Amino acid sequence: MITSADPRSGRRLPVRRAEVLRRLTEHGDQCAARIVARLPVDDDDVLDPHAVDGLLVAVHTELQRLSEELRIGERLVDLLVPLFAAVRSAAAPERPLRLVDVGCGLGYLIRWLSATDALGPDVELVGVDLNAALVTEATRLARSEALDCRFVHGNAFDLPEAATVYVSTGVLHHIRGPALEEFFRLQGRSRALAFCHYDIAATSLAPIGAWVFHRARMRHPLGRHDGVASARRAHSDATLLSAAAASGMRPLLYEPRGTVNPFCTTLRPVLGIRPGLEAPLRQALGRASRRLVGPERFSWPTG
Amino acid sequence: MNPALPLVAIGLVDAAFSGFRAYAGRDARIRKHRAVTRSALRGLAVGSVLLVTPALTAVTVLMTAGDQAHAYAALTDGAIGYLLPLTVYAAAVMLSLAAYFVLPFRASTLAMVVGLGPLTLLRPLVVVVACLGALATGGGWRSLLVGAVAGTAVLCVEPVVHRRWYARPL
Repeated sequence: MITSADPRSGRRLPVRRAEVLRRLTEHGDQCAARIVARLPVDDDDVLDPHAVDGLLVAVHTELQRLSEELRIGERLVDLLVPLFAAVRSAAAPERPLRLVDVGCGLGYLIRWLSATDALGPDVELVGVDLNAALVTEATRLARSEALDCRFVHGNAFDLPEAATVYVSTGVLHHIRGPALEEFFRLQGRSRALAFCHYDIAATSLAPIGAWVFHRARMRHPLGRHDGVASARRAHSDATLLSAAAASGMRPLLYEPRGTVNPFCTTLRPVLGIRPGLEAPLRQALGRASRRLVGPERFSWPTG
Repeated sequence: MNPALPLVAIGLVDAAFSGFRAYAGRDARIRKHRAVTRSALRGLAVGSVLLVTPALTAVTVLMTAGDQAHAYAALTDGAIGYLLPLTVYAAAVMLSLAAYFVLPFRASTLAMVVGLGPLTLLRPLVVVVACLGALATGGGWRSLLVGAVAGTAVLCVEPVVHRRWYARPL
């Protein structure tokens, strides 16, 4: 809300503090309003872009700590390695294979995958974000460690090269209403063979856990506030499967509610895969394929 | 048993962890083992200095006491009561850490979510319980004073290291 960009061009748009405060107050979010009220503005009440960028980089750096401590990289590799094995088994997939992280922020996942070479040398790693400051910082961090990956400022679905697999972590809860189905529809229209988006598992424990964890680990009030707000906004399994079906791919959930201990699964992914990939994916997963379930497993309508 | 040695050991180990916590969330690089070690050593250094304060407090209490033998005995009794809750806490932290590092990522998430995260938040409460423990074992006001100073010193390590070295992202 404190930063805005044209989704097509990626060009930064001015954000007026009064407008942000009005929207936050309307939503009854006084805590967030107090944080925004302290941000510096220019003579036209536009939030200082340098201050906002500095704040976003600082908060995302703190957020990365949570990803490290919760071993998010390993959690993703647990599914991405079998997924890419299934992709490789598909008939003549486009080369090179390309993993595109949508809304990559500081690109922790992409940089971690590059540092560990977990997906193999034939997978190109690309992070994309609409926020230029985060992309600049992600690029700087990758260069400082000579990592073989790259970051792009702009729209992940407008890249000149096709993605093989789209992935994201902690992005879906920011997308609400019809935009969620559109998000998946765009991936269905692309040449991608699969998507795999991790987001906060929507359980009654999630907001409490988020409060404890963000209180213990985050220092900036924005990070603390956003952690709990994100847990409250997390989509249910039903919502995600229903929206993912709009892609036209086969929608699946890995480790949904009821199949795993909620204390062990802070994030769980919704997947979409092209016809013909499910069998090789299940084969690559082995016994873990029992954790991969489709809409038929649930009694609720999925659209 | 003289409880001073295990108390100092717990204080110094906690200081090293405090140094790490002061650094964590300030460095977004992937490979950072040396920076992590440096932060722990900084915590250890700051903790070593700050823990001189309760030692000086204890010495002052002893030197100014009318009956030094009685005061020493009270401090020893209080220190044992102070040590007990800290030992239980330290054991829980070590168990959670071992589970975090040894077990696969799902179980390590459990160790983090129900163990290490909440245990960090509980640190001030543990100091309060330790002070009550010092009173309960007959340590009197002298033990309470030394225990409160020691607890404050230990809790100050993280903010001091953070402000000195990690106030901004690296």
